Amino acid sequence: MFCSIKSPALRRYLIRVSIMTALCFLISVVAALVFQFFLPHDPHGALAYLAAVLPALPVIGALVYTGVYLAEEKDEFQRYLLVQSLLGGTGGILAVLTAWGNMEDIANAPHLDLIYVYPLFWVFAGISYHLVKTRYR
Amino acid sequence: MLCSTSNPAQRRYMRRFLVAMLLYILFLFLAVWIFVHYRPVGPMAWILAVLPALAIIGQIAAFGLYLDEEKDEFQVAVGVQSMLWGIGGTLAVTVTWGFLENFVHLRHLDLILVYPLFCLLSGIAFGLLQLRFR
Repeated sequence: MFCSIKSPALRRYLIRVSIMTALCFLISVVAALVFQFFLPHDPHGALAYLAAVLPALPVIGALVYTGVYLAEEKDEFQRYLLVQSLLGGTGGILAVLTAWGNMEDIANAPHLDLIYVYPLFWVFAGISYHLVKTRYR
Repeated sequence: MLCSTSNPAQRRYMRRFLVAMLLYILFLFLAVWIFVHYRPVGPMAWILAVLPALAIIGQIAAFGLYLDEEKDEFQVAVGVQSMLWGIGGTLAVTVTWGFLENFVHLRHLDLILVYPLFCLLSGIAFGLLQLRFR
């Protein structure tokens, strides 16, 4: 799957992000099992906080690798495309969160789980990527 | 304050930012006042609640316009880099907080704090980048 990608920096990035995604799923399952079987009566101790934070570390790793990819990518146009889509994603996610936050606070809207912020950011970044790419086609 | 900079793009950005800020204060007061006095429900309540957020979205759009209009490439690069650091930090905080909320039932992070958090982290990154390139 990765062999067809010509840019070595992009190939490295996709492999790293795939590993981080797999790690996130694996650690989430392990953390859930730890909470189910080892911490059912003490969900607020130091071990509980550690187990809760661990699944977030691969996500932070994926963010760091996005930065590393931006530094390693030699094709300026690809770098420009990614930066533009990340900025689009930033604007989109901040707009949605601020609007939803106001609706939660003022109009008692249902609570948005923060776990969805990261995937939602990439949805907006993906939409921006295609829009910017279409613009320069 | 607006006149202290000779850069027209920065001056326009400051003006748009201030207008959006004033609109935010106005819309927030208006929304809260209507909720306290008339207690609207349904779609009307949702529209009213979103009203102050529109001003914040205007602020984000104003910064996007500034990046597009700014002729000084160095300023654009620093602005873009600080935004990227800001969103990276914000996503790291929200995802960690999200797992803590789900697993150890940490109190819910008020979503309206995410934008100020992003501004704070971008501001710190902006300062550090200016120092690095000085």
